[in-house]
Amino acid sequence: MSVLELEGVSRQFGGLRAVDGVTLSIGSGITALIGPNGAGKTTLFNLMSGLLPVSSGRIRFRGQDITKLPAHRRAKLGMARTLQIKQVFAGLTVLENTWIAARQRHRPLDPFRPAANDRATRAAAEAALETMGLEAMAGRQAGSLAYGDIALLEIAMALATQPALLLLDEPVCGMSPSETERTVARIRTLSATTDVVIVEHDMDVVFGLADRVVVLAEGRVLADGPPAVIAREPAVREAYLGEDEEAA
Amino acid sequence: MSALSVNRALTLLLLIALVAAPPLLGWMEVDFWLVVLTEILIWGLLASSANLLFGQVGLLSFGQALYFGFGMYGVAIGIDRFGLGLWPAMGLGIAASLGMAAVAGLVAVRLTWHYFAIITVVFSLIFYFLALRLKPITGGDDGLSFAAPPILDWGSLRLTLGDDATQYWFVLLIVVLAFALQARLRASALGRAFAAVREGERKASLLGIDVLRVRWIAFVIAGGLAGLAGALFALFGRYASATHMYYTVSGEAVVWTVLGGAGTLLGPAIGAALLILVREELSTVWEHYPLIVGALTIAVVVFAPKGIAGGWNLMLARVLGR
Repeated sequence: MSVLELEGVSRQFGGLRAVDGVTLSIGSGITALIGPNGAGKTTLFNLMSGLLPVSSGRIRFRGQDITKLPAHRRAKLGMARTLQIKQVFAGLTVLENTWIAARQRHRPLDPFRPAANDRATRAAAEAALETMGLEAMAGRQAGSLAYGDIALLEIAMALATQPALLLLDEPVCGMSPSETERTVARIRTLSATTDVVIVEHDMDVVFGLADRVVVLAEGRVLADGPPAVIAREPAVREAYLGEDEEAA
Repeated sequence: MSALSVNRALTLLLLIALVAAPPLLGWMEVDFWLVVLTEILIWGLLASSANLLFGQVGLLSFGQALYFGFGMYGVAIGIDRFGLGLWPAMGLGIAASLGMAAVAGLVAVRLTWHYFAIITVVFSLIFYFLALRLKPITGGDDGLSFAAPPILDWGSLRLTLGDDATQYWFVLLIVVLAFALQARLRASALGRAFAAVREGERKASLLGIDVLRVRWIAFVIAGGLAGLAGALFALFGRYASATHMYYTVSGEAVVWTVLGGAGTLLGPAIGAALLILVREELSTVWEHYPLIVGALTIAVVVFAPKGIAGGWNLMLARVLGR
């Protein structure tokens, strides 16, 4: 069963069609979204999560049409997302960060009851930190964490909302090899309970994790299939080789 | 001992000193300070409304005087035109400021930073000039003066604002309640949603927080607090005038907040107290005393960017060894 369905989704920036008629049905497990720089991966994420409105096309999430819904409504329906440029609530503690995420399912704007008395939310917030291995840092100010830990905290916050679909935008970008390895293992574990879409440039991570790889180029779906098939696809190699030639 | 318990103990001491101020100042034979202290409490409350927006939600408002003015006129009109008692007139003032903030907020919260600051000034200027023009209602340039009804009138028990000490305790009670309400708010889920919006609105929306709604709620609460301050100020002066709706009054609230410590509970009141004391002490001696206020503010912004209360908390954390 597919959680997220895109039907002819496009996004225009002036004369540029950053995303051009993408039709995709995202099912279970881990789907990786790859493609050369400027292929429209992050724009597509922005369209899925509601940070940007579509120029045309329709998006359905768990059977509901969400094309016109703003980001916070999609989040409430069970879609979580991390950002390419990692963002957490820097001035708050690590635990407060996941607490706020976890509380959004239950009377999030209650002005009276002290937050400290809400044990259920605290337990959920701590569980999310544990999943990402951050429990030892619960009391620290989020802004004081190392970059890799901030990236993990961002995923923990997304998890604390108990999402049905998790969109991860370059989750291991800027991490050391050992951090990357641990993060990949954690993503694999959480994919047992949550469907994941991941945008990633590290091909070892992509081919190590993904059940399915979708290749984007110039805003269109170039190829779509299991990693083993995609790796042999001539069009894919060409798209990436093209990028390499330009870079050289 | 934790920083929290030190600050709690100090707040309790401050509260005791404030309650005991009338006999204490009388004993020291400096009764006139009681009236200054009453004024400080009221301005401290106004500053806290600017702080709720700036320090907690990250919206810099230069328009809190507008809601202060609605509270002020609400009381004056309620008493002078409708013949209301003190409490219903205060209710009218607060309702008027809440209503105005609810409407202005619908537009203002869609903007941030300087755009937000500008729209708040624009709203407040519109109503400032309207208040000057609508002479039959507001008294125009002359303002509206009235005789204050009693606070309480139960047969033999009659409390009035005519007695300076009674007036001070009346203002103190309401200001303390308003700060207690804010303390409660900060510790609630809504308080944390405010912080989330301040720290990163895009992240907040991706977690399911309706950013515009949260900002609007803060805007309305801040408007109500400013309105409460305005209502108290009208009762304190038995007078309402458009001068106190001018944007310079809003600006003072922001300066007090920044100086005292944006984002802290008591910082804005501390800033207001300090600058009003400077004014009281120096304005008679030297007419250019605002220069000192300016220099003081710049010094604090440079050396203690989190204001006096923020600097204090930092020092406390260091002394207590963390």
